[in-house]
Amino acid sequence: MLRTVLRRHVPAVLVAAFFLLPLLVMVSGSLRPAGLAPPTGLDVVPSAPTLEAYRRLPELVPLGTWLLNSGIVVSLAVLVTVLVASWAAFGMRLLPKRPRRIAVLVTLGLLLVPVTAVWTTRFQVFDTVGLTDSLLALVAPALAATTPFYVLIYLWSFTGVPDTQLEAGRLEGASVWRLWRSVAMPQARLATLAVAVLAFSVYWSNFIDPLLYIDSPSRYTLPLGLRLLQLLNPTDFPLLMAGAVIATLPPVLVFLLAQRIFLDDPLRSLRQGRR
Amino acid sequence: MSDSVGVERARTPRSAPRSAWLFLLPYAVGTLLLVLLPAVLTLRYAFTDFTGLSGGRFTGLDNLRRLVDDPFFAASLRASAFHVAMAVPLRLVAAVGVALLLAAPRRGGRWYRVAAYLPTVVPDIALALLFLWVLNPVYGPLNQVLGAVGLPEPAWLSSPWGARVGVVMMLAFPIGEAFVVVLATRRAISPRLYEAAALEGIGPARQLRHITLPILAPVLVLLAVRDTVLMLQASFVPAYLLTDGGPARATLYLPVYIYDQAFEFLGFGYSAMVTLALIGFTLVLVAAQVLLVRRWRVLR
Amino acid sequence: MTLRFERVSKSYGDVEALVDLELTVADGELLAVVGPSGCGKSTALRVLAGLETPSSGRVLIGDRDITGLPPHRRDVAMVFQDLALFPHLTARQNIAFGPRVRREASDEAVRRTAAVAERLGIDGLLDRYPDQLSGGQRQRVALARAMVRAPTAYLMDEPLSDLDAQLRATARTEIVELHRSIGAITVYVTHDQAEAMTMGDRIAVLAEGRLQQVGTPAQVYDEPANLFVAGFLGSPPMNLVPGGGVLGGEPGTVVGVRPEDLHLDPSSTGDVPAGRIEAEVGVVESLGSETVLLVRCRDATRLAVRTVPRSPYRPGDRVVLAVDESRRHVFHEAGDRSR
Repeated sequence: MLRTVLRRHVPAVLVAAFFLLPLLVMVSGSLRPAGLAPPTGLDVVPSAPTLEAYRRLPELVPLGTWLLNSGIVVSLAVLVTVLVASWAAFGMRLLPKRPRRIAVLVTLGLLLVPVTAVWTTRFQVFDTVGLTDSLLALVAPALAATTPFYVLIYLWSFTGVPDTQLEAGRLEGASVWRLWRSVAMPQARLATLAVAVLAFSVYWSNFIDPLLYIDSPSRYTLPLGLRLLQLLNPTDFPLLMAGAVIATLPPVLVFLLAQRIFLDDPLRSLRQGRR
Repeated sequence: MSDSVGVERARTPRSAPRSAWLFLLPYAVGTLLLVLLPAVLTLRYAFTDFTGLSGGRFTGLDNLRRLVDDPFFAASLRASAFHVAMAVPLRLVAAVGVALLLAAPRRGGRWYRVAAYLPTVVPDIALALLFLWVLNPVYGPLNQVLGAVGLPEPAWLSSPWGARVGVVMMLAFPIGEAFVVVLATRRAISPRLYEAAALEGIGPARQLRHITLPILAPVLVLLAVRDTVLMLQASFVPAYLLTDGGPARATLYLPVYIYDQAFEFLGFGYSAMVTLALIGFTLVLVAAQVLLVRRWRVLR
Repeated sequence: MTLRFERVSKSYGDVEALVDLELTVADGELLAVVGPSGCGKSTALRVLAGLETPSSGRVLIGDRDITGLPPHRRDVAMVFQDLALFPHLTARQNIAFGPRVRREASDEAVRRTAAVAERLGIDGLLDRYPDQLSGGQRQRVALARAMVRAPTAYLMDEPLSDLDAQLRATARTEIVELHRSIGAITVYVTHDQAEAMTMGDRIAVLAEGRLQQVGTPAQVYDEPANLFVAGFLGSPPMNLVPGGGVLGGEPGTVVGVRPEDLHLDPSSTGDVPAGRIEAEVGVVESLGSETVLLVRCRDATRLAVRTVPRSPYRPGDRVVLAVDESRRHVFHEAGDRSR
């Protein structure tokens, strides 16, 4: 009995522990006192844990501004992503079969466009419309649904809504807009949650876009701010780890909200129409 | 549902397409402005001497000639090749192994999966800062552990191979996407197949070999292709933050070189040509994988 | 108020789903439209609803041409095969969906919802979601959603197909009773000929996009206009013998007799009198309320004979059959009825 339990759980526990390790090390690193001499022996768990690094961090850098900028970008971008992706998918859903298949193929093709291919030239586009060094440049990818993948998530969810429901709605006088709002979206709530969580993580973590398109330190988002912190204090590891923990906490919490969708049976749960 | 000829096409209402295109419009405009137009511009810049500020003269194949003779580009290509060769198999094997291990139903099973996915939601910058510390030869905990058990303590980021391995180590943790895909595919396989196999006296190892892997094969090919594309691109952030392309160009991966050319040396034209080279390299690798797979008949 | 198809055709590419449909539904009538899969019956209904635009022809309600009108302005309500209930809404919200979308006064909508629900006996279930309802209850909610509109016409696309046999039978009678008391036109599409026969004031038989015959159940059953109708209605189907054979007839015709119009003649034991058919019993299908004998004639023609329950015949017995001459159907080989 005990042996079966052990055999069933021990490998899983080990794997889980391995993947939790980075987070644990990050947290324990942030709890170390500042300015210690290099350790001579094994010293992984701090002997005198302290929150000092978290206190020093906002004193040294404009942490509040960075968090605020990140917050603005993320909330706008998630909203726009959800709207654009669900609209695009609903549009595809309404298309007759053949055009729909073409639209899906084009969307899949877009998945293959490498991001590096548009780094510099997106800069040109932003420059033309005056978006360089603006937080809106960081939100802009949401206009293209962030990634075609989110459109496909919604499309999968919407194709679970039978045609007859849309027709029933039409017979009652519902406009297409109304069908999106009152028939399709309520049945795609889990898709919305999934897309919102994924997009949150993308925009919160985005390092490259601010690096490329933002100059003014007052418009830095948290990731770019942490890069500045690292340049200023390259060996103050407790401080850097405190910054890393602060950057990591929100996406971890948001992911925990939605983990059920991803980790049980994603294809089915995205189509659960009820309530 | 069952009735009427040509039902398939009949199902979607007649007047729908016009409003359908309206719903697609924002996405289409966004994609056009942010993906397609920039992609076309990149293709054009590749044959000019555009600096981002001035120039833009058509220079024919000058950039290509420069590319061929560029020792930095050669080093960059090599670095990227090594990176893909190490990172893709490692990440794939890890994702598949972990997914198959954690797919089995057990009490609290989902929380093990949550743990395996968590590093994937950690922002790149946070993971990079962590590895800067972990791999630090003086302050870092990794060498402390290695030293404590009597193993050699490498210089990590300040040696060429140490840096390459360090980057791969960092990227070995965020494998959640492939993990979820394999997990979902594995859980979609009917338990009847395994029951039937067990009745025939086929043990777990042969079940894996003859049931699980063949069913997963198409998904694995897809994941391998995707991860190749991804690793060629995603090597940027760790290299930029951990090693800055060094030491001795060991981690001057193609995206890093593209970034340097465009934003440090203002060579938009030449960086566009390197971008084309990166895309070409990606296509070659993907084609090679697909051909190999054909050869091995993983896919019919 | 009548409902009329005027030479309505509908094709998808090369596929003709409806060809020159000419059909009038009388005021207050329940018209059952019946035919095999792919015969165009659903297309006809969808053209009526406005979910499909006909390739040519007109659709009229009374004298009003509604061909170009969008679905919601046609004053028709539809019950779908899969019922098309919204899974994210309660029964009440499903029923009130239309009034809400059309921004009708909410107290009026509430009152009508309650009235319709009470009439259908689902007033206790209004706060449940569709997946908390049984098949029969769901079907009533779908009916209620149609009724709350008080439309000119009800369009029903095989709404009972997901119910089990017993529920189906009761649901049939309920729909007919509702139809009688409401008195609005109902067009009821089904592939089940028994359902069409029992429910329809009249039956329209469709095959390959073409109207084969329309008439009362008795007319269509007793005087099928062509071979298709003859073979499609009735279970077991009419015995059809090319050239007449044992049933008597000329070359170039097909002669048909329904199983119940072949009578067993127990008196003839010796020689077979003229006009009688001698046959050997092959299979005895005892259906409880009746027995169907599948017999084989001397010229190898196979016939189905409907007879009384608890029939004494066993496979291998010799029987003599008499044809009810007044119920003999003769068709041209091409299909049309000749007599």
